[in-house]
Amino acid sequence: MRLIFATLGFLLVAPPAGADSYEEHDYVLNCSGCHRIDGTGSRTVPSLLAMPELNGKPGARKYWVRVPGAAQAPLSDARLAALMNWLVQRFTGGQPKPEYTAEEVGRLRSNPLRDPIAKRNEIRNSRPR
Amino acid sequence: MSRLDRWFEGMTRQSARRVSRRNWLSRFGGVLVGGAALPLLPVARAAEKHTVGEDGVKGREGDPTRCEYWRHCAIDGFLCSCCGGSHTACPPGTEMSPVTWIGTCRNPADGKDYIISYNDCCGKTFCGRCLCNRNEGERPLYHWYRNNDINWCGGAKAQTYSCSTAVVVKTAKEAQPEK
Repeated sequence: MRLIFATLGFLLVAPPAGADSYEEHDYVLNCSGCHRIDGTGSRTVPSLLAMPELNGKPGARKYWVRVPGAAQAPLSDARLAALMNWLVQRFTGGQPKPEYTAEEVGRLRSNPLRDPIAKRNEIRNSRPR
Repeated sequence: MSRLDRWFEGMTRQSARRVSRRNWLSRFGGVLVGGAALPLLPVARAAEKHTVGEDGVKGREGDPTRCEYWRHCAIDGFLCSCCGGSHTACPPGTEMSPVTWIGTCRNPADGKDYIISYNDCCGKTFCGRCLCNRNEGERPLYHWYRNNDINWCGGAKAQTYSCSTAVVVKTAKEAQPEK
Protein backbone atom coordinates (compact mmCIF):
# COMPACT_ATOMS: atom_id res chain seq x y z
CA MET A 1 0.00 0.00 0.00
CA ARG A 2 2.87 2.32 0.91
CA LEU A 3 4.36 1.63 -2.51
CA ILE A 4 1.09 2.60 -4.23
CA PHE A 5 0.93 5.89 -2.30
CA ALA A 6 4.57 6.61 -3.12
CA THR A 7 3.94 5.96 -6.82
CA LEU A 8 0.81 8.14 -6.80
CA GLY A 9 2.69 10.91 -4.99
CA PHE A 10 5.49 10.78 -7.57
CA LEU A 11 3.04 10.92 -10.47
CA LEU A 12 1.28 13.95 -8.96
CA VAL A 13 4.45 15.98 -8.40
CA ALA A 14 6.45 14.78 -11.42
CA PRO A 15 7.31 17.91 -13.43
CA PRO A 16 6.95 18.13 -17.23
CA ALA A 17 10.18 17.86 -19.21
CA GLY A 18 12.40 20.59 -17.79
CA ALA A 19 15.67 22.09 -18.91
CA ASP A 20 18.28 20.13 -16.96
CA SER A 21 20.79 22.94 -16.66
CA TYR A 22 21.33 26.60 -17.48
CA GLU A 23 23.48 25.43 -20.39
CA GLU A 24 20.59 23.47 -21.87
CA HIS A 25 18.20 26.36 -21.19
CA ASP A 26 20.59 28.76 -22.96
CA TYR A 27 20.99 26.33 -25.85
CA VAL A 28 17.24 25.99 -26.37
CA LEU A 29 16.60 29.73 -26.13
CA ASN A 30 19.60 31.05 -28.06
CA CYS A 31 20.70 28.31 -30.48
CA SER A 32 17.92 25.80 -31.10
CA GLY A 33 15.63 28.24 -32.94
CA CYS A 34 17.94 27.99 -35.96
CA HIS A 35 20.14 24.93 -35.26
CA ARG A 36 17.07 23.02 -33.93
CA ILE A 37 16.82 21.08 -30.68
CA ASP A 38 18.79 18.11 -32.05
CA GLY A 39 21.40 20.35 -33.72
CA THR A 40 20.65 19.16 -37.25
CA GLY A 41 20.13 22.70 -38.60
CA SER A 42 18.16 23.26 -41.78
CA ARG A 43 18.51 24.14 -45.44
CA THR A 44 19.87 27.57 -44.47
CA VAL A 45 21.57 26.84 -41.12
CA PRO A 46 24.69 24.65 -40.60
CA SER A 47 24.33 21.39 -38.68
CA LEU A 48 26.07 21.18 -35.31
CA LEU A 49 26.46 17.45 -35.94
CA ALA A 50 29.29 18.45 -38.31
CA MET A 51 31.35 19.90 -35.43
CA PRO A 52 33.55 16.75 -35.20
CA GLU A 53 34.82 17.59 -38.74
CA LEU A 54 36.56 20.66 -37.29
CA ASN A 55 37.39 19.25 -33.84
CA GLY A 56 41.14 19.32 -33.14
CA LYS A 57 42.00 21.37 -36.23
CA PRO A 58 43.89 24.64 -35.79
CA GLY A 59 41.54 27.56 -35.27
CA ALA A 60 38.41 25.46 -34.56
CA ARG A 61 38.30 26.36 -30.86
CA LYS A 62 38.40 30.09 -31.60
CA TYR A 63 36.05 29.76 -34.58
CA TRP A 64 33.24 28.21 -32.54
CA VAL A 65 33.07 31.26 -30.25
CA ARG A 66 33.57 33.82 -33.04
CA VAL A 67 30.62 32.65 -35.21
CA PRO A 68 27.85 35.28 -35.13
CA GLY A 69 25.33 33.14 -33.22
CA ALA A 70 27.73 32.56 -30.33
CA ALA A 71 29.63 35.88 -30.31
CA GLN A 72 26.45 37.96 -30.38
CA ALA A 73 24.28 35.84 -28.07
CA PRO A 74 22.69 38.00 -25.33
CA LEU A 75 24.57 36.07 -22.63
CA SER A 76 27.33 37.07 -20.20
CA ASP A 77 30.87 35.81 -20.92
CA ALA A 78 30.55 33.30 -18.05
CA ARG A 79 27.22 31.91 -19.29
CA LEU A 80 28.54 31.70 -22.87
CA ALA A 81 31.70 29.90 -21.69
CA ALA A 82 29.59 27.35 -19.80
CA LEU A 83 27.31 26.95 -22.84
CA MET A 84 30.29 26.41 -25.17
CA ASN A 85 31.76 23.72 -22.88
CA TRP A 86 28.37 21.97 -22.79
CA LEU A 87 27.88 22.32 -26.56
CA VAL A 88 31.33 20.99 -27.53
CA GLN A 89 30.84 18.03 -25.17
CA ARG A 90 27.40 17.29 -26.63
CA PHE A 91 28.28 17.51 -30.31
CA THR A 92 31.88 16.26 -30.41
CA GLY A 93 31.63 13.74 -27.57
CA GLY A 94 34.47 15.28 -25.51
CA GLN A 95 35.10 18.32 -23.33
CA PRO A 96 37.21 21.09 -24.89
CA LYS A 97 40.75 20.96 -23.52
CA PRO A 98 41.24 23.17 -21.64
CA GLU A 99 37.66 24.23 -20.95
CA TYR A 100 36.57 27.66 -22.14
CA THR A 101 36.79 30.39 -19.51
CA ALA A 102 34.81 33.63 -19.30
CA GLU A 103 37.99 35.60 -19.96
CA GLU A 104 38.84 33.65 -23.15
CA VAL A 105 35.27 33.81 -24.46
CA GLY A 106 35.10 37.57 -23.76
CA ARG A 107 38.30 38.10 -25.75
CA LEU A 108 37.19 35.94 -28.69
CA ARG A 109 33.65 37.29 -29.03
CA SER A 110 34.94 40.87 -29.18
CA ASN A 111 36.32 39.93 -32.61
CA PRO A 112 33.40 38.24 -34.43
CA LEU A 113 33.90 36.63 -37.86
CA ARG A 114 32.99 38.61 -40.97
CA ASP A 115 32.78 35.57 -43.24
CA PRO A 116 32.08 32.48 -41.09
CA ILE A 117 31.53 30.11 -44.04
CA ALA A 118 34.89 30.94 -45.66
CA LYS A 119 36.63 30.53 -42.29
CA ARG A 120 34.89 27.20 -41.74
CA ASN A 121 36.05 25.85 -45.10
CA GLU A 122 39.59 27.07 -44.38
CA ILE A 123 39.66 25.19 -41.05
CA ARG A 124 38.08 22.07 -42.52
CA ASN A 125 40.71 21.86 -45.27
CA SER A 126 43.63 22.33 -42.86
CA ARG A 127 45.50 19.40 -41.30
CA PRO A 128 44.88 18.44 -37.66
CA ARG A 129 47.53 19.47 -35.17
CA MET B 1 15.04 -19.80 -2.94
CA SER B 2 13.75 -22.21 -0.33
CA ARG B 3 13.89 -19.42 2.26
CA LEU B 4 11.68 -17.28 0.06
CA ASP B 5 9.30 -20.22 -0.41
CA ARG B 6 9.13 -20.78 3.34
CA TRP B 7 8.54 -17.10 4.02
CA PHE B 8 5.79 -16.90 1.42
CA GLU B 9 4.18 -20.07 2.70
CA GLY B 10 4.24 -18.68 6.24
CA MET B 11 2.66 -15.42 5.14
CA THR B 12 -0.07 -17.21 3.19
CA ARG B 13 -0.94 -19.55 6.07
CA GLN B 14 -0.98 -16.66 8.52
CA SER B 15 -3.32 -14.59 6.37
CA ALA B 16 -5.55 -17.64 5.76
CA ARG B 17 -5.88 -18.07 9.55
CA ARG B 18 -6.59 -14.39 10.26
CA VAL B 19 -8.60 -13.12 7.29
CA SER B 20 -11.78 -14.70 6.04
CA ARG B 21 -12.59 -14.84 2.33
CA ARG B 22 -15.66 -12.72 2.83
CA ASN B 23 -13.60 -10.09 4.61
CA TRP B 24 -11.16 -9.97 1.66
CA LEU B 25 -14.02 -9.84 -0.87
CA SER B 26 -15.76 -7.00 0.97
CA ARG B 27 -12.57 -4.94 1.13
CA PHE B 28 -11.76 -5.57 -2.52
CA GLY B 29 -15.30 -4.59 -3.50
CA GLY B 30 -14.95 -1.40 -1.43
CA VAL B 31 -11.79 -0.45 -3.28
CA LEU B 32 -13.45 -1.06 -6.66
CA VAL B 33 -16.58 0.97 -5.87
CA GLY B 34 -14.62 3.67 -4.04
CA GLY B 35 -12.19 4.06 -6.96
CA ALA B 36 -15.05 4.43 -9.42
CA ALA B 37 -16.79 7.01 -7.18
CA LEU B 38 -13.67 9.16 -6.66
CA PRO B 39 -14.24 11.46 -9.68
CA LEU B 40 -17.72 12.28 -8.29
CA LEU B 41 -16.18 14.00 -5.27
CA PRO B 42 -16.09 17.84 -5.30
CA VAL B 43 -12.28 17.73 -4.96
CA ALA B 44 -11.92 15.80 -8.20
CA ARG B 45 -14.30 18.10 -10.03
CA ALA B 46 -12.41 21.20 -8.82
CA ALA B 47 -9.17 19.74 -10.18
CA GLU B 48 -10.65 19.69 -13.68
CA LYS B 49 -10.28 23.47 -13.80
CA HIS B 50 -6.63 22.85 -14.58
CA THR B 51 -6.92 21.27 -17.96
CA VAL B 52 -4.00 19.63 -19.66
CA GLY B 53 -2.96 20.93 -23.07
CA GLU B 54 -2.30 18.86 -26.16
CA ASP B 55 1.38 18.75 -25.30
CA GLY B 56 0.74 17.59 -21.73
CA VAL B 57 1.32 20.92 -19.98
CA LYS B 58 -1.20 21.98 -17.35
CA GLY B 59 -2.89 25.26 -18.03
CA ARG B 60 -5.64 27.33 -16.51
CA GLU B 61 -8.74 27.02 -18.61
CA GLY B 62 -7.76 29.43 -21.30
CA ASP B 63 -8.77 30.14 -24.83
CA PRO B 64 -6.02 29.33 -27.34
CA THR B 65 -7.89 31.48 -29.87
CA ARG B 66 -7.22 34.66 -27.85
CA CYS B 67 -4.08 36.80 -27.65
CA GLU B 68 -4.33 36.81 -23.81
CA TYR B 69 -3.77 33.03 -23.63
CA TRP B 70 -0.62 32.54 -21.52
CA ARG B 71 1.44 30.82 -24.23
CA HIS B 72 0.99 33.79 -26.54
CA CYS B 73 2.99 36.22 -24.34
CA ALA B 74 5.69 36.67 -26.97
CA ILE B 75 3.77 36.02 -30.18
CA ASP B 76 3.59 38.22 -33.26
CA GLY B 77 1.27 36.97 -35.97
CA PHE B 78 -1.99 35.19 -36.72
CA LEU B 79 -3.00 32.42 -34.30
CA CYS B 80 -3.14 29.02 -36.03
CA SER B 81 -5.94 28.12 -33.55
CA CYS B 82 -8.17 30.56 -35.50
CA CYS B 83 -6.98 29.37 -38.90
CA GLY B 84 -7.93 25.70 -39.01
CA GLY B 85 -4.99 24.45 -36.94
CA SER B 86 -4.29 24.64 -33.20
CA HIS B 87 -1.69 26.23 -30.93
CA THR B 88 0.52 23.18 -31.53
CA ALA B 89 -0.41 22.13 -35.08
CA CYS B 90 -0.46 23.79 -38.49
CA PRO B 91 -3.64 24.13 -40.57
CA PRO B 92 -4.03 21.56 -43.37
CA GLY B 93 -2.04 22.46 -46.47
CA THR B 94 0.70 24.31 -44.58
CA GLU B 95 4.12 23.18 -43.39
CA MET B 96 5.70 24.00 -40.01
CA SER B 97 8.94 25.89 -40.45
CA PRO B 98 11.87 23.95 -38.94
CA VAL B 99 13.57 27.17 -37.80
CA THR B 100 11.75 29.38 -35.36
CA TRP B 101 11.92 32.11 -32.78
CA ILE B 102 11.84 31.03 -29.16
CA GLY B 103 10.78 32.88 -26.01
CA THR B 104 9.55 32.23 -22.46
CA CYS B 105 6.09 32.71 -20.89
CA ARG B 106 4.85 32.28 -17.32
CA ASN B 107 2.05 29.73 -16.87
CA PRO B 108 -0.45 31.16 -14.33
CA ALA B 109 -1.62 27.62 -13.46
CA ASP B 110 1.66 26.65 -11.80
CA GLY B 111 3.64 29.93 -11.72
CA LYS B 112 6.48 28.39 -13.75
CA ASP B 113 8.19 29.84 -16.81
CA TYR B 114 8.11 27.75 -19.96
CA ILE B 115 10.20 27.93 -23.12
CA ILE B 116 7.80 28.45 -26.03
CA SER B 117 8.65 27.83 -29.67
CA TYR B 118 6.62 30.06 -32.04
CA ASN B 119 6.94 27.93 -35.17
CA ASP B 120 5.39 29.56 -38.21
CA CYS B 121 3.13 27.63 -40.57
CA CYS B 122 4.03 28.26 -44.17
CA GLY B 123 2.84 27.57 -47.71
CA LYS B 124 -0.57 29.26 -47.89
CA THR B 125 -1.42 32.93 -48.00
CA PHE B 126 -1.62 34.73 -44.63
CA CYS B 127 -4.58 33.68 -42.52
CA GLY B 128 -5.75 37.17 -41.49
CA ARG B 129 -7.64 36.06 -38.35
CA CYS B 130 -6.70 36.64 -34.67
CA LEU B 131 -3.71 38.93 -35.15
CA CYS B 132 -1.72 39.12 -31.90
CA ASN B 133 1.35 41.25 -31.20
CA ARG B 134 2.52 40.84 -27.60
CA ASN B 135 6.30 40.48 -28.00
CA GLU B 136 7.26 40.01 -24.31
CA GLY B 137 11.02 39.36 -24.12
CA GLU B 138 11.54 39.88 -27.83
CA ARG B 139 14.96 41.21 -28.86
CA PRO B 140 15.72 43.91 -31.43
CA LEU B 141 16.21 42.93 -35.06
CA TYR B 142 20.02 42.89 -34.74
CA HIS B 143 19.53 39.83 -32.49
CA TRP B 144 17.64 38.27 -35.37
CA TYR B 145 17.41 34.79 -33.86
CA ARG B 146 15.49 36.26 -30.88
CA ASN B 147 13.29 38.53 -33.01
CA ASN B 148 9.81 37.83 -34.32
CA ASP B 149 9.55 40.47 -37.05
CA ILE B 150 11.48 38.42 -39.58
CA ASN B 151 9.81 35.79 -41.74
CA TRP B 152 10.76 32.47 -40.12
CA CYS B 153 9.26 30.66 -43.12
CA GLY B 154 12.72 31.23 -44.66
CA GLY B 155 13.62 27.75 -43.39
CA ALA B 156 10.55 26.03 -44.89
CA LYS B 157 9.99 24.77 -48.45
CA ALA B 158 7.54 27.59 -49.21
CA GLN B 159 8.25 31.02 -47.76
CA THR B 160 4.66 32.33 -47.63
CA TYR B 161 3.68 33.02 -44.01
CA SER B 162 0.25 31.76 -42.94
CA CYS B 163 0.02 31.71 -39.11
CA SER B 164 1.97 31.00 -35.87
CA THR B 165 1.84 28.17 -33.31
CA ALA B 166 2.98 28.29 -29.64
CA VAL B 167 4.55 24.95 -28.71
CA VAL B 168 5.91 24.32 -25.19
CA VAL B 169 9.49 23.01 -25.46
CA LYS B 170 10.54 22.67 -21.82
CA THR B 171 10.24 24.40 -18.48
CA ALA B 172 12.62 27.36 -18.37
CA LYS B 173 15.34 27.94 -15.79
CA GLU B 174 14.52 31.64 -15.74
CA ALA B 175 12.31 34.17 -17.51
CA GLN B 176 13.66 36.38 -20.25
CA PRO B 177 15.78 38.46 -20.29
CA GLU B 178 18.62 36.29 -18.95
CA LYS B 179 20.78 37.59 -16.12
